[in-house]
Amino acid sequence: MSQPTTTGGRRQPASSPLSDLLTGERGLGRYAFYLPLAFLIAFFVVPMLLTLVWSVFERTNFWMEPGFTFGAYADFFGSARFENFLRAMKSSAISVLVAFVLGFPIAVFVRSSVPEKAQHKAILLFILPFMISEVIRIFALRPILGRHGVLNDALIGSGLIDDPISIFIYTPTGVVIGEVMSYLPFMVFCGFLAMESVPRYIFEVCDDLGSDTLTTLRRVIVPLAAPGILAATIFIFINGIGVFLIPDILGGPGAVNAGTLVLNAISALDFPLAMAIAAIMLVILMALLLIGHWLFDLTKLLDPAKR
Amino acid sequence: MMREYGNPWAHRAKWLYLIFVVVALMSPVLHTVTISFNEHGFGAADYDFTLVYYFDLFRNEEILAALGWTFWLAFVVVVVTLPMGILSAKFYQTTRWKVPFLLLMLAPLFIPADIMAAALLVYFKTLSRFFSDTFGLEWFDLSMTTAVIGQVLWCLPYVFVVVLVTMARYHAEQTEAARICGATAWRAFWDVEFPQIKAGVFSATAFTVILSFNEYTRTNFLKGGFETFPTYIVSYMLNTGMTPETYAMSGLVSMTSIVIVGAVLLLALRKEQA
Repeated sequence: MSQPTTTGGRRQPASSPLSDLLTGERGLGRYAFYLPLAFLIAFFVVPMLLTLVWSVFERTNFWMEPGFTFGAYADFFGSARFENFLRAMKSSAISVLVAFVLGFPIAVFVRSSVPEKAQHKAILLFILPFMISEVIRIFALRPILGRHGVLNDALIGSGLIDDPISIFIYTPTGVVIGEVMSYLPFMVFCGFLAMESVPRYIFEVCDDLGSDTLTTLRRVIVPLAAPGILAATIFIFINGIGVFLIPDILGGPGAVNAGTLVLNAISALDFPLAMAIAAIMLVILMALLLIGHWLFDLTKLLDPAKR
Repeated sequence: MMREYGNPWAHRAKWLYLIFVVVALMSPVLHTVTISFNEHGFGAADYDFTLVYYFDLFRNEEILAALGWTFWLAFVVVVVTLPMGILSAKFYQTTRWKVPFLLLMLAPLFIPADIMAAALLVYFKTLSRFFSDTFGLEWFDLSMTTAVIGQVLWCLPYVFVVVLVTMARYHAEQTEAARICGATAWRAFWDVEFPQIKAGVFSATAFTVILSFNEYTRTNFLKGGFETFPTYIVSYMLNTGMTPETYAMSGLVSMTSIVIVGAVLLLALRKEQA
């Protein structure tokens, strides 16, 4: 910014040509507000949409060339990759369910029984684990879940089991544990965000009408918080299928998901296949968001005016 | 649910559960940090406090170089993301297309890191081929720039949300008043609005530093010929498994994040009480 304009006191309007050009009423500054939009379109929307185009390109030795072939899709659906993909979807769905059962009651509890002023602070606690490197958090589960890990030691020490349990890690269970540990905070955040639009007197009304806790949850709270639950569900489900780190570090030799498949395709320089899998993920995400929107109007979550 | 006023133990049990879940989510990291200070490493019966593994880290040239790159990257990402976050929050306030814009801003959070990184990788390779074939330029070769773009996409939604929440508390009439008194739009923002949203910008900065510092997948795909601390740790862990050195590295990363988040939360709480 230009210096001289400030010398005559702060209230004086800027007047040098340079500052006019940058910050004046008709200056270039006006267009600065479009910068984030342009950035997102150039480096997010365009590349993500181009995956659809690249996925039908012809594969060459080290790269790809324009063409129109469903070879990459045939390769994906006609091989063990598709079975692995379905298995990843299943384990991801289980993770969503576990995260819901463990996490959503927290959101309800904070909204219904914590004083209004302290609610955000209680929810903020869940940012802590989320702010630590994902890689470290997942790697750190290894010494916890292993055969001679902390969890088995504790279980044996407490006399609950006699021999160490080995299904906690390098198994599909390990992947689910890793996913729940990583994504549970999202269920709490989104659940709470949706619960914020539920007035607190609802809990009293339900109580006065003699409904028990479970019925209140099932018939009143969950339907009201549905957009939030759905947002968290989509998030956890998609990341469960997509993030390769968790099966890579906690899954056994056969643990594969879409992320691993993309990674392998890229190391094999099969770019159309990698892009086809990315495009499939994108389509699944869009489909889920559209279904969610059609069912519950997800924009309610984002737009306070609609609450 | 109001019944719990009659039964305080149910209320306490729920609080206990909440705390338990937070501690459980943190436990792997806390465990790692504890072990990183143990002279005998993982699984030893004795516990002797030592800093020797940390001193070893700071004598390792590769780690120092990786740390340097990580901080430099985080710095550039902050410098790029913060103004963009503020601009996007401003844009959101004035645009008629609020919901589509919001969806676009938040969309990068919903796409798994490796899927987005793979798409960006192929995109940058295409662009780089195009620029070198047509103009002989080295634009969009995998480098610091591409890593920064990948990380900005990751951090921008967070900065946007944090700044937007803070801006919502600002009364826009003050800007109008400043403009009527003759201030330019820029001066009205910098002298009137910015001091009031400083707290949000500050926490957004802290979060960007942490997010950039911890980011692995996108950086690993898009970086040029350098290692950042997370990519170094992961390749080291995948090669050698959990050794005292990896515990110390994990401890260092985790404690850095915990200190930054803790400081931000404390400052925010103190501000609220003041």
